[in-house]
Amino acid sequence: MASVAAQLPAAGAWARWRERLFRLAPGDGDCVVLRHSRIYILPSRRGWTMIGALAIMLLTSLNYALSLGLGVTFLLSGLVAAALLHAFRNLSGLEIRPLAAGETFAGGRLVYTLAVGSGGRTRDGLEFRAAGTATAVIDVPDGDTASVQIERPAPSRGRVALGRVTVSSTQPLGLWRAWSYVHFPLAGIVFPEPEPGAPPLPRGAHGQDASAPGQGDETEFAGLREFQAGDPPQRIAWKAVARGAGWYTKEFDGSGGGGPVALEWALLPRTLDVETKLSRLAAWVLMAEHAARPFSLAVPGASLPAGQDREHRRAALTMLATLPAGAAT
Amino acid sequence: MTTVARGARRRATAAPPALTAAQTRWIGAMIVCAQLPQAPHLPWWIAGFGIALVGLRFVLLRRDRARPGAPARIPSWTLVLFAVAAALAVRASYGYLVGRDPSVAFLYILIAIKFLEARTVRDGSVLVALVSFLLVTPFFHGQSPVAALAALPALLVLGATLDALARPADSPFAAAPRAAILRTARLFVQGIPIAALMFVLFPRIAGPLWGVPFEAGATTGLSDSMAPGSISELSLSDAVAFRVDFDGAVPPPAQRYWRGPVLSRFDGRAWTMAPRTAPGTLARFGAGGLAYTVTLEPHGKPWLFALELPASLPDPSGGGEDEPPARGYAFVSSDQQLLARVPVTQVLRYRQLSMLRDAFPEAERGEGADFLRLPSRGNPRTMELGRDLRARGGSDAAVVAAALAWFRAEPFFYTLMPPLAERDPVDAFLFDTRRGFCEHFAGAFVVMMRAAGVPARVVTGYQGGEWNPRGGYLIVRQSDAHAWAEVLVDGTWRRVDPTATVAPSRIEMGLSYAMADTEPVPLFARLDSGWLKTSQLALDALNHAWRTHVVGFNRERQRKLWRDVGIDRFAGWQLAALAAALGVAWAGIALGLIGLRRATLDRERALWSQACTRLAQAGLPRQPHEGPIAYAARASRRWPQFAIAFSAIAESYATLRYGPPRTRPGERDALVATLARAIDVLPAAGDLRSAAS
Repeated sequence: MASVAAQLPAAGAWARWRERLFRLAPGDGDCVVLRHSRIYILPSRRGWTMIGALAIMLLTSLNYALSLGLGVTFLLSGLVAAALLHAFRNLSGLEIRPLAAGETFAGGRLVYTLAVGSGGRTRDGLEFRAAGTATAVIDVPDGDTASVQIERPAPSRGRVALGRVTVSSTQPLGLWRAWSYVHFPLAGIVFPEPEPGAPPLPRGAHGQDASAPGQGDETEFAGLREFQAGDPPQRIAWKAVARGAGWYTKEFDGSGGGGPVALEWALLPRTLDVETKLSRLAAWVLMAEHAARPFSLAVPGASLPAGQDREHRRAALTMLATLPAGAAT
Repeated sequence: MTTVARGARRRATAAPPALTAAQTRWIGAMIVCAQLPQAPHLPWWIAGFGIALVGLRFVLLRRDRARPGAPARIPSWTLVLFAVAAALAVRASYGYLVGRDPSVAFLYILIAIKFLEARTVRDGSVLVALVSFLLVTPFFHGQSPVAALAALPALLVLGATLDALARPADSPFAAAPRAAILRTARLFVQGIPIAALMFVLFPRIAGPLWGVPFEAGATTGLSDSMAPGSISELSLSDAVAFRVDFDGAVPPPAQRYWRGPVLSRFDGRAWTMAPRTAPGTLARFGAGGLAYTVTLEPHGKPWLFALELPASLPDPSGGGEDEPPARGYAFVSSDQQLLARVPVTQVLRYRQLSMLRDAFPEAERGEGADFLRLPSRGNPRTMELGRDLRARGGSDAAVVAAALAWFRAEPFFYTLMPPLAERDPVDAFLFDTRRGFCEHFAGAFVVMMRAAGVPARVVTGYQGGEWNPRGGYLIVRQSDAHAWAEVLVDGTWRRVDPTATVAPSRIEMGLSYAMADTEPVPLFARLDSGWLKTSQLALDALNHAWRTHVVGFNRERQRKLWRDVGIDRFAGWQLAALAAALGVAWAGIALGLIGLRRATLDRERALWSQACTRLAQAGLPRQPHEGPIAYAARASRRWPQFAIAFSAIAESYATLRYGPPRTRPGERDALVATLARAIDVLPAAGDLRSAAS
């Protein structure tokens, strides 16, 4: 993602201009400070209604030569003009950074997090939205940095880029909509959905029984760590949450589990299609983790040596998520 | 980077957002604020009904609060019923539905009905737009300073309503009404330069774009007929007829005859205007002429007033003296009346030239015969007196003099409350009661003249006027209404004022001096001095200035202002460009002021980004996840010789940025100074790079 410019097609002035206007490629780096060159403003629907009313007031006052009618019309126009400046000001100087892209299983919701710095003044009613996401609205007090979470349903596995984010605001009076596009190279990972009711773990390479000791309950509680988006709900330390102590996730020590288990594509029945195979492997990865057993993973074109920790699990699931659909055939 | 996670509000995009109770209250307040200035100009029951409907919604809101979860709904067929009933009632009240005033009345009710059923924020937007229009409509009926003040609360609440509509219910800014009003007031103040610019530069149009219907209103003024009692009734009114600013000296009271409708038809009781008036020729303006500006109150009639003999045609929309006057607005009739082609329905300001002459030649030779007609029957004693005067006098001039002498000799009494006679009113006045007001004297005199064979007619208008020393202008009130006579002697029309013969003080001093204390002379005509009079004159001066500079800021005055500033030579597009440039300047100044504030606030961030840039150029860019302390630690590992500077930069910046607020004076400045000095110690990017290698 470092050389974004290289990804852009070497095109003419029009394409560059188009890119500048609409930010179609993920060309924004570490931090974007919104400046006048990327802030757009048009009247909102309410703004158009108001402008229409002002036009009628103007015509009436002119026709009947009502100086005071013109006075009222122009005072309201002044208000509309001031609202325009403030709408611009509400976005101008805003600092936006990509913070994190979440992970989830297919069928869940993918959460992207952006950090929004106030840039020296209070911002109200900032709306963030990318294609297919709900609109997230935040206020940022002066001198503060807020995080905004943009959620998107994740129906299928893969790497899902956040895409272009529209930052907009209709404050202060809802008459103008100021907006800006930011496009960070931020992508979340959607793991394959674990197969419900998957068969138990295959026998280990060294003949150990997969269903032997080590179902999750019997593993040793190792400690708490801070909650991260995507942690399974059954691992959340709900008691701590209820006490108001914050969000933590329980971690278990896997030392008490059985021996290593090899999860191999080749061992799966040939009748299954690619996605079901991936789903089953994902379910097994979770089972292995739950049982605190080290596992290795081999899929067409990629493999992972045996391991056990959280990073290992993540690497395995990512491998499953990003396996090209055509790679297995 | 420290990230303070805040609860993000999420908005459902499917259904249009519903109005909250607070937003509904704002809209209701806005509607009432806009209704109140309009209410006095509507039939009382329409005014009351509209306000009551808004009140009903407030009652429903209260009920909703008592029973949450089951919002009160008014079935939509009731609303349709309301609307139809309102339309019928307006039709019944005004007699017609398509017209300015009934339309306003209907809009007034419709807004209240719409409010009753408003559920979504979008309904709120529509209501704001409708109410904005309702802010203009009271000015149809008057543009006094009071009317202007009455519009201000509604404007402010309208802005605050927009503010409330723009904020979701859970916004921390949504709560306080005081804060909303203050925010809106600030926006209005910031918009005033734009408003002023538009007021001065937006071109006014010369005439109405569409027909301005004449709406019969409660306007007072001279009419096209004069029956016994009509002028004395008018004289009971304090209302201002017009105000006059003179270019030079003000003529003495005896010469202030403001010529109005000329009445030449008599039916035995009332005088009326000739149905069609031929165009006449204007007097030549020359030595002894007067130039002045008349600000005429609307009176719903076409006549315009000029002193004595008009020497120019009023042109209220024209460009001024150096432009040829448009001939279209008004014309002069053969009997020297100034007539507009459309009734005067709004305040009219025009420059006027006059010659102070009480005699002028007849319009065409032999026209006198038209001014001898009398009804064949009635008033026999007056007829006989006329014939008698002719027999005694001889020449026309002698007859006129003899008639005036007769008036002087007989015991006539000048009063506002003459007895009314049903039969032969002229006979009754001249021979029985001998008590009358100017219309009796003028009318009877003209009848006498015609009976004696001298062509004569009645001229109505105003006589005198009060000088306002505060504003330096003349106030002419309805109580100055007057009627006098004109006789045609030797081819010349001459003014003869029999009232002046009977009650000279009326002409010299004004109505109150000619009347006994028991007469119902209006208060302001009666008052001579004292604080009430002084304050009344001061108030009138304010009113006149208002009419001149604000209400009367029409095309003519706009052009004059442009001339004075020197932008009148610009073409339309140049003016538009000028307006655009001024608008951009306004935006620049407004945003610039904001920018300046930011710069002082954020010195430390500018310094920090300067340091980061230098390190990045030296080959050590800050990672996105890296806070100042971690970054400084990494830089110190790379360039241990500057470790102290790095940590000073990072610590002071982090303290300024993320530490508790510095309360002691100078503490903040000291930290900023530390930051700046530490950055000064760092070598340039190139030197850093070579230091590392």
